[in-house]
Amino acid sequence: MTLTRKNGLLYLAILAGLIVLPSFISTKYYIHLSVLALIWVIVAQGQNLIQGFTGYVSIAQAGFMGIGAYGTALLGLNFGLPVWLTILSAPLITALFALVAGYPSLRVKGHYFAIVTLAFNMVIFIVLLNLTDLTNGEAGLMGIPKPGAGKDGAINFADRTTYYYFVLIAATGVTALTALIVNSRLGRVLVAIRQNETLVGAAGLAAWKYKLFAFVVSAMFAGFAGALYAHYQSFINPEIFTIAQSMDAVLAVILGGSGTITGPIIGAFAIVFLPEYLRFADSFRLVIYGLILILATIFMPRGIVGLASDALGLLKKRRAR
Amino acid sequence: MLELVQQITNGVAIGSVYVLIALGLTTVFGILGIAHFAHGSVSMFGGYLVYVLVASQGVSLWLAIPVALIVGMGVGGLIEFLAYRPVRNANHINAFIIALGLTMMVEGINLQLFGADQVVIPTGFDRVFEIAGVTIPETRLYVILAATVLVIAMTAFVEGTKTGQAIRAVAQNRDAAILMGVNVRSIPLIVFAMSTMLGVAAGVMVGSLFAIAPGVGEAMVVKGFAVLILGGLGSIPGAIIGGLVLGVTEALAAGFLSSAYKDVIAFVVMIVVLLFRPQGLLGGAK
Repeated sequence: MTLTRKNGLLYLAILAGLIVLPSFISTKYYIHLSVLALIWVIVAQGQNLIQGFTGYVSIAQAGFMGIGAYGTALLGLNFGLPVWLTILSAPLITALFALVAGYPSLRVKGHYFAIVTLAFNMVIFIVLLNLTDLTNGEAGLMGIPKPGAGKDGAINFADRTTYYYFVLIAATGVTALTALIVNSRLGRVLVAIRQNETLVGAAGLAAWKYKLFAFVVSAMFAGFAGALYAHYQSFINPEIFTIAQSMDAVLAVILGGSGTITGPIIGAFAIVFLPEYLRFADSFRLVIYGLILILATIFMPRGIVGLASDALGLLKKRRAR
Repeated sequence: MLELVQQITNGVAIGSVYVLIALGLTTVFGILGIAHFAHGSVSMFGGYLVYVLVASQGVSLWLAIPVALIVGMGVGGLIEFLAYRPVRNANHINAFIIALGLTMMVEGINLQLFGADQVVIPTGFDRVFEIAGVTIPETRLYVILAATVLVIAMTAFVEGTKTGQAIRAVAQNRDAAILMGVNVRSIPLIVFAMSTMLGVAAGVMVGSLFAIAPGVGEAMVVKGFAVLILGGLGSIPGAIIGGLVLGVTEALAAGFLSSAYKDVIAFVVMIVVLLFRPQGLLGGAK
């Protein structure tokens, strides 16, 4: 997991690919999907931090996205604060909730942690649905402002391609931050927790602090992504912040390759574009989706990235012969 | 006072459903270490099956329920064999992710086969009994009775039969059980068949008491896990007491506080228990 020259080149290649991507897309709809995919990259990097590196599967990411999205939207709509300020305060609001949620739920491990976080997601959903005075219930919030000064401003954020680059910068920043975290001493402690939590305790480290850190940071990423989503769509309702979306985050990490930096990027694009290509299957989509998840866990537990590096290794061996 | 007794009675009825769901989850968890998240959706599949048999095929309820229970046993065994067995020796997280995938699949199959509309099983039980001023609809009474019978039958099976003994042996020490000649390959199949049957019974109860709709199974399984956290993992008495406590708490909250937030109660109780007694109400000290 060190930042070798080869890895650095790979990251640059991916970034370059994403920069030129819009010029290859002629259909507006695909640009739209790419924006969503980049937003999901941010969520998946957070999910990977807690699931892939620390080994705690949290199923609350969509709930935290909801907190970020509603946070930024309500601050903007009710107090007229500038958009950049509300977007930046969204992760902080989310962090507050994550601290309160994380402290009790990190007392349990494994499946139990997953179920407790899932329960949190349900609570968030129920509250968003029923706190109608604030959230307008099922109808949701409309007219969430775009960043910038509109069409007359220097940058027109209402344009999809422009927003794409805006989110690309955000996703790159979040990915770089994740890489920084996992390559630091902190990241090594997180991996150690995944491998043997008892040993971490025996080494005199307060594991719970590190776990809480990973959980809160992952929630902040989700909250940030939620805020970007809210300002992109200009409309949010509780429907998009359910457990199903949290499972998408889990799926993105598993499919891409957990515990890697590139994995969540590939996984995020997969979970956004895969359902589109499965559209022919219509209502069987969910069935196929579930089947892919099961087969991926059984046959490629290390994800697409793991599969690719295995294939590369095999190729090299052949060549050496 | 009468109002209170009435709400508690309502709570015991819904609590019985939670007990059955939680019993299935707790045996699978305690014996095989799998958090079988698809349990709720599979249970609702059973409920849907009874609905289709009764409402559109005209089968008698008393035939439809046993058929669904037997199908449930088969489905449970199949799930164990096809989905969980391949990851038996892998990290436990993998089994949980398989469970999530299964949930999606079963929810998708339910949607495909039975549609997105909510359905209520036409039981024809519309009498209302009145016992000492407390009214109890016929269906609720039958639910409580049926759940009691199933709980007793399951306990008798696990505690009293040779197979039950083998199941407990595997739960305690898998290797020792192998040495004692227990067929450890068949035990997970039996456990899954048994717990899915209990789940299907719960699904039928949900379908007759309330309604089955997409998402109900997921909500049910989360509550089932809340019960497990309340009662302590893998504990059968814990599941029974925890289920009743949750049912009654919810009924009281719905009756006296707010019905929109009654579903939040389960999770608040769960979080409070985790904070103060992470091993569950009945769990022993670690």
